[in-house]
Amino acid sequence: MNYALLAPEILLTILALVVILLGLLVSDRSKNVLGYLSAAGLIASLVYIIGTKGEGSLFYNAIVVDPLSQIFKLIFIIVSLLAVIASISYFKDNRNQDEYYALLLLATVGMMVVASANDLIALFVGFELASMSTYVLAGFEKKNPASLEAGLKYFIIGSLSSALMLFGMSLVYGITGSTNIPAIVEYFRINPTAAITTLNVIALIFLVAGFAFKMALVPFHMWAPDTYEGSPTVVSALLAAGSKKMGFVAAFRVLVLALVAIRIDVQMAFAILAVITMTYGNIVAISQRSIKRMLAYSSIAQAGYISLAFVVTTQLSISGGILLALGHALMKGGAFIAVAVVGYMVLSDNKNARNTDDLENFAGLGKRAPITAFSLFIFFLALAGIPPSAGFIGKFVLFYSVTVEAVRQASTWLLLVVIIAILNSALSIYYYARVIRYMYVLPPTGEKIKEPAPYVIAIVLAVIGTIGIGLYPEPFIRWAMDAARVLGVS
Amino acid sequence: MSLYTYLLIAAIMFTVGAYGIITQRSGIKILMCIELMLNSANLNLVAFSSFNNNSTGQVFALFSIAIAAAEAAIGFAILVALFRVRDTINLDNINILRW
Repeated sequence: MNYALLAPEILLTILALVVILLGLLVSDRSKNVLGYLSAAGLIASLVYIIGTKGEGSLFYNAIVVDPLSQIFKLIFIIVSLLAVIASISYFKDNRNQDEYYALLLLATVGMMVVASANDLIALFVGFELASMSTYVLAGFEKKNPASLEAGLKYFIIGSLSSALMLFGMSLVYGITGSTNIPAIVEYFRINPTAAITTLNVIALIFLVAGFAFKMALVPFHMWAPDTYEGSPTVVSALLAAGSKKMGFVAAFRVLVLALVAIRIDVQMAFAILAVITMTYGNIVAISQRSIKRMLAYSSIAQAGYISLAFVVTTQLSISGGILLALGHALMKGGAFIAVAVVGYMVLSDNKNARNTDDLENFAGLGKRAPITAFSLFIFFLALAGIPPSAGFIGKFVLFYSVTVEAVRQASTWLLLVVIIAILNSALSIYYYARVIRYMYVLPPTGEKIKEPAPYVIAIVLAVIGTIGIGLYPEPFIRWAMDAARVLGVS
Repeated sequence: MSLYTYLLIAAIMFTVGAYGIITQRSGIKILMCIELMLNSANLNLVAFSSFNNNSTGQVFALFSIAIAAAEAAIGFAILVALFRVRDTINLDNINILRW
């Protein structure tokens, strides 16, 4: 077996254990170093994944390394790198930093295992590794009731979703007699009549529900706003930008393969789910005063756009979904980190401030923290889908692919879905523009602050990524197309 | 007993657990209901494995038992931390976050 394929996972696991061990040995004050160590490990993994285009399978075909797994690993590592860099400032001088970084690295490893999983057992174990680490991360500020509440809500809903998923997996195993995803697909290809039984439909519903909880699709979204609002802001960035994509890669691997194999007509069901999700997310986002909550609803809306990929399941639509997932990871991660800077700014004015992400605190941000304000401006435009940005490229490929399919099938309602999605994009500009108005038009409420260097580095990296993919999308589109080809869609 | 008896018991356990999560307000009871749901899936796996003469299901069940134990530990840890701050684990009182 070629363990070199799994070098990033192995490196990050060892690093997580080393970080915990060092946390026991060094003094509380020198724990700040652990953040730099974690960042270095993540950068090494990132370079390895971009540099080597390895392919292969390990552990009796339970883990595969292919373009699909690699592009999602890229997303997870980028998000976790941004979160770690920002945490160097956010958790500065916190005496539990060692546990924080170790959990963050383990969460990343869990997400990477899900990206590579080719077997339901590996998928479940990876899911749980990532989920359990993030339950603790969400409740990490253990003196802060809001953070603990966020952790508890996330834990209850998260374990409910894993129970649903496990139950669905047990039924799939019962029907097909295997947990290996290609073997399951093969079984349905050989026995097409076995595909459309009641038990099968129940299994499919359980699996979709389990994944949809992680993707935060309506009606499985109710945990997301609470959790993103209450968690430490850098953890919200990890959850919204990383953990959510884990649901998508699992859904791509299991659902798309299964749907292509069993040919059940669920196009309509996914279209309804996607349209409700994007509309609900955008409409509720308008009325939010808390920016973290607004970003949470906007990421529900983005999940709605990405799930358009399941509606048509063509190569183009799936690569559009992957591109939007990549873009969303950068934009949303960057936006949450920018909100963390505002929190830092408000707390340095007044140590006991509450609701640091309130809209009022963004007044005059353009004068008080110019780099943060300008980056947030770019992230918002990118989230709304304005070129040249990663958000535009993703949305363009996705909407274009659905239009192509609508024309091919001569189907009016598919065209209607695209129109609703575009109108939704326009609607989202309204609530982003409101924050931009607060930042640049209203007068500042305090002095200009010095933005801490780690935050600035994280935000600037996210801006470079967002604009870079927008200006030079070709290699990413090609990578995403390769990734979609793995799923055997045409 | 036939396979369907086991599947029926598992389905009943699953429903009881889901019902409990929706109706119960105590954090501990909710954790118990989550365990019930996970174990119903384990029962399914073991039953299928035994009736299909295929050991993969039992391996899966072992993995999921270990994961359920870790999950319970994390749940209790969060509840203890919450109890220290708020002096309650009744979910009706845990409502700072809402729109």
